Amino acid sequence: MSLALILFFGIGAVLLLGLAWALWEPRERKKLGSDLGSLDECGQRHVDYLPQIRQALAPMDFDFLLKNASRDLQRRVRRERLRVALAYLAAVRGDFQSLLRTAKVIAAMSPEVAAVQELERLRLTAKFTWHYQMIRWKLLAGLAPVPQLDGLSNLVSGLSVRMEVAMKELGEHAAAAAKLASSVNGRGMDAV
Amino acid sequence: MASMMRAVQEFWVLGLLGQMIVCGFLFFRGHYRKLPFFTAYIVLNICQAAFLYALYAHFGFGSHGARMLAWWSEAGTLILRSLATAEVLRVVLSPYRGIWGLGWRVLCVAFGLVLSFAAIEAGSNLDWAFVLADRGFHLAFAVALVACLLLVRHYSIPIPSAYKALLAGFCFHSCVVVLANTVGKTLFPRESAHYQPIWQAVTTGTYALVQVVWAVALRKPLPAEEKQQARLPASIYQQISPEINQRLRSLNDRLSKFWEPEVSRH
Repeated sequence: MSLALILFFGIGAVLLLGLAWALWEPRERKKLGSDLGSLDECGQRHVDYLPQIRQALAPMDFDFLLKNASRDLQRRVRRERLRVALAYLAAVRGDFQSLLRTAKVIAAMSPEVAAVQELERLRLTAKFTWHYQMIRWKLLAGLAPVPQLDGLSNLVSGLSVRMEVAMKELGEHAAAAAKLASSVNGRGMDAV
Repeated sequence: MASMMRAVQEFWVLGLLGQMIVCGFLFFRGHYRKLPFFTAYIVLNICQAAFLYALYAHFGFGSHGARMLAWWSEAGTLILRSLATAEVLRVVLSPYRGIWGLGWRVLCVAFGLVLSFAAIEAGSNLDWAFVLADRGFHLAFAVALVACLLLVRHYSIPIPSAYKALLAGFCFHSCVVVLANTVGKTLFPRESAHYQPIWQAVTTGTYALVQVVWAVALRKPLPAEEKQQARLPASIYQQISPEINQRLRSLNDRLSKFWEPEVSRH
């Protein structure tokens, strides 16, 4: 088997897999139209629950437990804190993905799309995914300074506020377009 | 060898029959109005088949001159094949002007890059120049098409099943040609005459299969063209997109410094 043969078989297999993946449409996959319908949900974010999460992860509570509670209870609390931190991290990623989906909808509805911006977003998404997985594994390994999740959520909530403004504008434009279309149709029917 | 030649002839007849059925659907169903380049591609393929039949009948199957003419006749169909594919993608993406703008650039860049490498490789090996050029074209074609389809998926843009079948057929056939050419060049470096019937059986067989898929896809009316999706002013994208990227960049910076001791906040 020569190197060229292996290389081209590899490329062929990757291309066929890429083709199958690109054309395959899972039943639960949201289409662009249904994404538009779900844009209203953008306002409700997991970061809204940040104060409660911070309360649950407060170091003072744990210090108190260290002094007064049994080892069993300490272990259970440590496990619970880790579970909460992981669930919160996953929820923040959910928020992040939801915002990215919104960005995709805006791009799909725009008459012009800047390739540089889109490629940059792809790169940043890949970087986020890598960092997210690293943090997740370190949390699982017990190395994470849990309260610092705070910084992550501040950024996402800032973006979410800005996106809500954009969504409002988007809704207004869509309504105006629908109104225009219906009035044009109405005129057409009158003419007939 | 004789049975292989018979298989090639059978696949060839099947493929031709398939192309005629596809052509019939294109004209009788009125698809040619929506897909003029695709129609031209199928018609040219039928003409090429007639030309090749006359060529081989006159010069014989093993003639070097006939083979050269056959390769040159392929150039026209390959150009129309590219135009037909771009046409199908344009029909799918026409309601999304911005994404189509991005899509055709991806298509051109990917195609140009891979084809340049292939041209250099074909130029440096004149014995196999036609095979390498053919492989290079099909590889560039498949890479560009898959890249564009991945972009379409990234933006969750739906592709009607008829167009999916057309695009999948093009891509699958190109991948098979790339693999068939590679096997031929690698395993039969000096005895291309022995491999030629196998190569022809594989490529004509695949092409006949693709015609069946296309005929099934085109037997029904094509979906009506989607209206332009409610469009946003370009200013919204120009305003929001850089801001999103800025936020994502800051978020990544924060994540990369996640394990550093946090500076006290006020």
